[in-house]
Amino acid sequence: MAARKAPKPKPAPPPPRLRKVVPKHHFLVRLTHWGNVPLLFGLIASGLSIYWAAPVFRHAPDPVTGNRDYFADVGAFVARALHDSGGDPAKWIYDHASLGTGLLAPALRWHWVLAYLFMLNGLLYVVGLFAGSGFRALLPRPSDVGGALAMMRYYLGLPLAFVLRRPWPHPVVRSKYNALQRAAYFTMPIAGLLMVASGWAMHKPSQLGWLERLFVSYDGARIVHFACMLVLGSFVVPHVILVIADGWDTFRSMIVGWSARVKEGDRG
Amino acid sequence: MGKPPRAAKPPRAAKPPRPPRPNPFAERPEVAVEKDERFLRAGSRRDFLFLTLGTIAAAAGAWWLLPNRTKARLLPGEAGKKFDTPAARCGLSGTRRERFLDRTLTFDDDVAEALYSATRRVRTYARAEAGVPRNNYHGRTPAGTYLPGWTLQLAGLASGRTESLALGDLERLLPRVEQTTRLVCVEGWSTIAWWGGFPFAQLLAQFPPAPGARWAALRSAVNLDGRGNPDPYYVSVDLDTLRHPQTLLATHLAGAPLTLEHGAPLRLLAPVKLGLKNIKAVTHVEYTALQPPDYWNERGYSKYDGL
Repeated sequence: MAARKAPKPKPAPPPPRLRKVVPKHHFLVRLTHWGNVPLLFGLIASGLSIYWAAPVFRHAPDPVTGNRDYFADVGAFVARALHDSGGDPAKWIYDHASLGTGLLAPALRWHWVLAYLFMLNGLLYVVGLFAGSGFRALLPRPSDVGGALAMMRYYLGLPLAFVLRRPWPHPVVRSKYNALQRAAYFTMPIAGLLMVASGWAMHKPSQLGWLERLFVSYDGARIVHFACMLVLGSFVVPHVILVIADGWDTFRSMIVGWSARVKEGDRG
Repeated sequence: MGKPPRAAKPPRAAKPPRPPRPNPFAERPEVAVEKDERFLRAGSRRDFLFLTLGTIAAAAGAWWLLPNRTKARLLPGEAGKKFDTPAARCGLSGTRRERFLDRTLTFDDDVAEALYSATRRVRTYARAEAGVPRNNYHGRTPAGTYLPGWTLQLAGLASGRTESLALGDLERLLPRVEQTTRLVCVEGWSTIAWWGGFPFAQLLAQFPPAPGARWAALRSAVNLDGRGNPDPYYVSVDLDTLRHPQTLLATHLAGAPLTLEHGAPLRLLAPVKLGLKNIKAVTHVEYTALQPPDYWNERGYSKYDGL
């Protein structure tokens, strides 16, 4: 009998190099966060094309152009300010922010596709908020009034402190978000919910009559829908600026889910 | 006869103080965890790759779904075609786009049909709130040449006959009702109006459709466009809608007979449907088993149009 060969000793795997990270966002929150980007972009583009067909904010027709649409007036003003003589100034805002004018049927079909995906996305977002316990960081609390004032004071004084090269310390934030962030991130899902509710109130005012009454009238739902679009749209600008200002780690945390900033009291 | 005084309870044994229950809504402090560097790196690589692929897919999908006119405006001339050719090679063609978007419309129509209840009435308003709907012929109100000799033709009946009814026949056979409801246009505007006419359900009761009929094809006397070229208008309406108690064959608006711009002498008024189904100057109603063609559906709008 041949003696059994002794098994070759395997080289021990190198010990894992450990790194301290702070878990930030649940996978579903990250997924739906990025899903919202193309969805809201497409919903606004198609929504404005639908809005063009019958604006809810109207004035008496302009004696020269016959225009009744306040929103088109905003576009004409911008076109004049930019000295843009490329097209009809009354259509400027629709040519630049929507699918275009006179495209009601394609815009409606776009809007339905994206609206159903947006509702699904919102549902997954809420599931992710609870699965990852992220909802607690969004809830308002009594200290938020003072916290919001401190943050506003910080942001308002920041440019002057920068110019004068004076130290301007960031208010101490012990929670995941500061009070202003929390207010904004708490408002967004509510605006999204109102968006969906006012959308259904307009889409099915007969079968969902109770929903239409919730917004007082048909045009009430249209006004709320438009206002929510403005709220969601105007959130994006400071959101993107502040993420850029806060740096790579914050941006990455919305992709990979964790932050490498582990110092106590550091803002995430 | 007083009750015996209650015996004093023995003093309870002092319990140890319960630990305070954590508030379920209070934010927990963030805790750092130790993770294997290799695990984190692999996860990051996967997530960034996922985001990149998602961005490419969203951009390609958006380009595919854009209407041709929007594409031509965004990338005029040959530049846009450079994207269209490889997209079509991947199967993202214009035909597929239309089919995909049409399927979404059908899905949305199915949702609308599922929401529909035969007994749910639409909201009614006080007459004081009523206005007059906009003339949506866009300056192409038809001349009333069809008015003398107008009749309502009914086909697809259980009797197998074709009925031809003048306004006087309808007046004699059907009860009159009035209602103040909202007319909602697919464009987004809406008007509360005071209508008078005959309940469509009564017409169905008097002249029942052939068994198996589920749809009605309605045709209008107005069949010329603004330049005088043929442009017939026809809609398909499901029988459930026509049986709804608030669906009328309207003859009056704001207490006066319908004018030409609102569809004299008789129009469909179905407040559970978008305005485009509320066909003006109806001349023909034919009951069918299969869904008949619909003017606006052929132009990219939905088929069912339930509100």
